[in-house]
Amino acid sequence: MLQKLFRNPQDAAAGLFLVSVAAFFLWQSSSLDLGTLRSMGPGMLPRSLALIVLGLGCLIMFNASVTVGPALESWQLRGPVFVIGSILIFALLIRSAGLLVAGPLTMIVGAYASDEFRLKETLIFSVLMTAFCILLFKVMLKLPIPVIAFM
Amino acid sequence: MDTIIGNLALGFNTAMSLQNLGLCFIGCLVGTLIGVLPGVGPIATIAMLLPITFGIDPTGALIMLAGIYYGAQYGGSTTAILVNIPGEATSVVTTLDGHQMAKQGRAGVALGVAAIGSFFAGTVATIVIAALGLPLTKLALLFGPAEYFSLMVMGLVCAIVLARGSIVKAIAMIVFGLLLSTVGTDLETGEDRMTMGIAELSDGVDFAVLAMGIFGFAEIIRNLENVETRDVVRNKIGRLLPAWQDIKDSAMPVLRGTGIGAILGILPGNGAVLGPFASYTIEKKIAKDPSRFGKGAIEGVAGPEAANNAGAQTAFIPLLTLGIPPNAVMALMVGAMTIHGIIPGPQVMTKNPELFWGMVASMWIGNLMLLIINLPLVGIWVRLLKVPYRLLFPAILIFCCIGIYSINNSVSDVLGTAFFGLIGFTLIKFGFEPAPMLLGFVLGKLMEEKLRQALIISRGSFETFIDRPISLGLLVVAVILLVLALLPSIQKGRDEVFTE
Repeated sequence: MLQKLFRNPQDAAAGLFLVSVAAFFLWQSSSLDLGTLRSMGPGMLPRSLALIVLGLGCLIMFNASVTVGPALESWQLRGPVFVIGSILIFALLIRSAGLLVAGPLTMIVGAYASDEFRLKETLIFSVLMTAFCILLFKVMLKLPIPVIAFM
Repeated sequence: MDTIIGNLALGFNTAMSLQNLGLCFIGCLVGTLIGVLPGVGPIATIAMLLPITFGIDPTGALIMLAGIYYGAQYGGSTTAILVNIPGEATSVVTTLDGHQMAKQGRAGVALGVAAIGSFFAGTVATIVIAALGLPLTKLALLFGPAEYFSLMVMGLVCAIVLARGSIVKAIAMIVFGLLLSTVGTDLETGEDRMTMGIAELSDGVDFAVLAMGIFGFAEIIRNLENVETRDVVRNKIGRLLPAWQDIKDSAMPVLRGTGIGAILGILPGNGAVLGPFASYTIEKKIAKDPSRFGKGAIEGVAGPEAANNAGAQTAFIPLLTLGIPPNAVMALMVGAMTIHGIIPGPQVMTKNPELFWGMVASMWIGNLMLLIINLPLVGIWVRLLKVPYRLLFPAILIFCCIGIYSINNSVSDVLGTAFFGLIGFTLIKFGFEPAPMLLGFVLGKLMEEKLRQALIISRGSFETFIDRPISLGLLVVAVILLVLALLPSIQKGRDEVFTE
């Protein structure tokens, strides 16, 4: 839709993004006290800054309708989904299962984000890397990372 | 002069202790490693290694972290020369002539000149820091809230001018960063602001979490989309020591580069990144035969490399004397200092002289180490560069996860990085440059504090920023810079500098 309405779709999307960020912060800060210039309340800066972001977002969108610019880049989902997914897996498992389980799983899921994924290589590599991480962070640097959760 | 020598002696005494030498060495080695590897930057690495420094004394911790930072600048040029990919953003310019030299079988000379030029620049920058430290600290003591606020405004304007691409977008990123910094407990009333009831957010967004998300994870996703071809030089690296003629050719560019880099580095607002570009442009302008540039001109390696390293080091000046971090790496240093109970600012030099001068002296020692360890290790770096990215990035992923978890032993921090990774990726997709946002975030809290203090003192009148001469001067500079950057003719030149 943006491609048809605006001659600079990338900037149009950028402006839209800023406007939504500003809207979110305006909504969140709506209950905060503004105060006066002499003694600012907690809401003064957040709301003024959000208004500036809103203004800049509108300006960028306006510019996008009068200038020609690059199209929106294509969004390949594989990269973000698996990279973010692997971080979530780490967050989920580090306390409940420990690094011994979380490490290899994080790396295997993460590695799948690349279309050059090779299963066997990744399996061996992730196990070796986990061993290395346990040695480095737990044994040598003595960080309190759970290696096996139930121990 | 006597005090400088006395202070430097104290510094070298501190830096030469066995532990600090070891930490400096580790820092330089890790720094070079991540500098060599494209796709891992000093920001993510330092955020990742923050927890490791908990057990070390603050001086040692900062010595190591500083080593990572300037080590990365060294390493970045190795990749630029050998593979034609900038290992770090600041070594983009080095790819132009450095890689051409490598193709002509002069890779060794290019590496040698880069290393020697960097070492010289590092030495000069160390002296500059030592010499400017005391007077700037005294100046800082004259600063009230209004001056601090205006100085930070100038810093942010510098960051806008120096950002690539659209200026409006850069401004938007800065304000977005400032806005993010207001999340968390209000500093006067203690009221929770925009935390959506999430308890972890009442301390505000953690800088390491934000930086790791935006510069660690978002970069990985980005790199996965652009399949890079690594054109590792197959020629022999050749002899490392430059011939006499090479030294003569690069002496002046190194000198000029050092000067440019050192001055730009001091500017708040990440002026250091501009150093290499400025140096390259100048060398090309004054060269007798500009057409040689881009085809393996040694001046095009020597100047920018010196500027790069000088800027990387003088960037410590605003942090150590005024307590204002000029870029994201320095902001992480603030984090490392506060973890150890040291508040960065003019009082560091009087309260912790061994930390200040120890760090300054360690920079020189670190540069010497880099010169010595780097050249013989080139073979290892080349082999490392042949490790494919599909194996590299899962390793980066797990290191980042462990690092960010360990800072506070907190799962919600890990979730936070995932969130900001997504935001960072979105920003890149929409053509925003994330670096100014990070700077806005870094300065946000301090700016709000100073602004509110200044307005309380002046009873709500904004005239205080204009009435006070230092503050007025800083704001005038900021306005001039902004107007210049918006002028069409300058804007064209700015694009040229960055696209060259």
